[in-house]
Amino acid sequence: MQHSNGTKSPTIDVQRTKILLLGQRRSGKTSIQQVLFNDVSPKQTFYLEPTTRIVKDTYDTVIPLEIWDCPGNVTLDTLGASLSDFSSIIFVIDIQDSYQQPVARMLDFFIAAYQESPDICLEVLVHKAEAFTDDYKIENFRHIQQRVIDELLDISQDYEQMPLNFHLTSVYDHSIHEAFSRVLHKLIDSLPYLEDLLNVFCANSQSSKAFLFDVKSRLYVATDASPVDTGTHNLCCDYVKTLNAFGPLYKSSSSSAARLLRDSRSSSPSSGPSFYPSAAVTLAPSTQGTTLTYHSITPQLALLALMHTAVFEEQRGLLEYNVVFFREGVQEISQVEKDARMGSLVV
Amino acid sequence: MKKKVLLMGASGSGKTSMRSLIFSNNPASLTSRLGATIDVEQNHVRFLGDLILNLWDCGGQDSFMDSYLSTQRSTIFQHVGVMIYVFEVESRDMPKDLTYYRDCLDALRKYSSDASVFLLVHKMDLVKGDKGTQLERKRRDLQAESGDVEVTVFGTSIYDESLYKAWSRIVHTIIPNAAVLTKHLTTFAEACSATEVILFERTTFLVIATSSPPAPPASSQRALANGAATPGSSSTVVTAPTSPVEDVHKLNATRYERTSELIKALKHSCSRVREEFYALEMELPEFTAVLDEMTKNTYVLIVVHDPTIETAALKINIRTARQKFEELQNDSISA
Repeated sequence: MQHSNGTKSPTIDVQRTKILLLGQRRSGKTSIQQVLFNDVSPKQTFYLEPTTRIVKDTYDTVIPLEIWDCPGNVTLDTLGASLSDFSSIIFVIDIQDSYQQPVARMLDFFIAAYQESPDICLEVLVHKAEAFTDDYKIENFRHIQQRVIDELLDISQDYEQMPLNFHLTSVYDHSIHEAFSRVLHKLIDSLPYLEDLLNVFCANSQSSKAFLFDVKSRLYVATDASPVDTGTHNLCCDYVKTLNAFGPLYKSSSSSAARLLRDSRSSSPSSGPSFYPSAAVTLAPSTQGTTLTYHSITPQLALLALMHTAVFEEQRGLLEYNVVFFREGVQEISQVEKDARMGSLVV
Repeated sequence: MKKKVLLMGASGSGKTSMRSLIFSNNPASLTSRLGATIDVEQNHVRFLGDLILNLWDCGGQDSFMDSYLSTQRSTIFQHVGVMIYVFEVESRDMPKDLTYYRDCLDALRKYSSDASVFLLVHKMDLVKGDKGTQLERKRRDLQAESGDVEVTVFGTSIYDESLYKAWSRIVHTIIPNAAVLTKHLTTFAEACSATEVILFERTTFLVIATSSPPAPPASSQRALANGAATPGSSSTVVTAPTSPVEDVHKLNATRYERTSELIKALKHSCSRVREEFYALEMELPEFTAVLDEMTKNTYVLIVVHDPTIETAALKINIRTARQKFEELQNDSISA
């Protein structure tokens, strides 16, 4: 399946960050990929056909990604690429599966990758967590985690330093979004700069929390320094989803296109669109509550910020002023990233 | 003012599930936890302040049905405003369902002859293949089964917006003077330069009334095109009947019920972090919209396509219109 995600330029000539998606058959690799990047509803993943050959999916967010979705029986030899080509290897384990086989296979891959490039990100998704109750799934998660580490050390003590990351995920809630966001963060070279921008934005706009979301996949590519509260993250995710769904609902066949036209007329063609969608949801009580703002930053990204409703209403001008500068910053970073990736191919 | 609403249908057809979805804000995924309804569960749902829906969720097991039709006959079927009869689309025993349905209909005609009847062909999500033709067949069967009683048939599922569509239509018939609300909403829409204004009930987010489309810019030959654009499905449109007007926007036909569904979902997300949804404003590429409190128990959604209209202006308009709508609503309910 192909993704264009708004970019019209041929996607071939960009150097993409590659992610390898591995796991036993029926562990949920394709489901994860489809739910995150193809807008498939979790229920529909039930009907997905087994993947029989390696499928390379591209997705453009703050960095261009290429996700290799592999069939369950892929081996180092049939992969057709060196493990050092990948920036991140994700291994999906079904929480209900017997662990012995998948763990052994996973470690084979991880050790090979680690030896080729010690900086590679190794991620373990303990998946289909929805099958168990809260207590039981955490117990299982810990158990798998311990088992993997034990087996790894059995093979050799040298692998103690291997940077393994474990995530407990399910496509039926937000855990897959949160986990994949964290996977993504490690691949974004410009992350510290984005985070700095968010920190400055939060401080100057009296926002308690801000996320930079990829709108289509609802992954957050960066956030400010304050800790991420799962509840807030989930709400932001749902909010972006709601806005995505609202757009086409009241789309006017005669007037909607003209809205964008007006704005592009006022600006020079080179500077791109000057109309940036925005939204705000106010939570009760109406004056002392919280407001969750949404500002489009680039066609792919949007800034979500949490602040007191009173601040939002009284200092809206300041907020929007800050957003303009934040937007410029992010756009510049994206441009540098883009140039670097185009450039590196020429060299 | 009280309105008695009978919710009937075979056991396990989904009566309590839909009640919990519409009136208790529970997500569809949790309906599997609901137990069987024993006898009749009565609920008083405050709808639009003074209008109270007296919801009779009637357990559908045979022994209960038999008793509704014999010993409890007069209690159950007296003073009914609306009867909603739920059929499973893939029922195990349709002939039996229909026998009970006919008996209920007879009883209803005897005790509350002016009650309106709605038939919901439920669990449409289970239909494989073409849902449209299946529903059309059911609709014909059920209409034939109802004889000369006027019935309205909807295909519904708790997993999509169809349930909101059906219930919005149902409550629309209960609200007295809905046409007056429509008229005022239309005036309000003009004042806001809005394409459309929609009034929702606060807790259920069911559509109470919508503005009628703006007056035609006098081009009669193109007005014909509208005929094809308005019917979302074979049932009639929620808005009060208006003269055919050219629909230049051709908005999505399922927008009202989809909006109900989306806002309910967002409200649910808010409640999970112990917050309560209050208001929403959007300036999207496609349109500008404000969703805000109108009266104590209604919300209003203003949809504008004119890019020069600011959300702040819409909000001020809502604030100034509040008083008027509060009065209007009280009038229409006490009338």
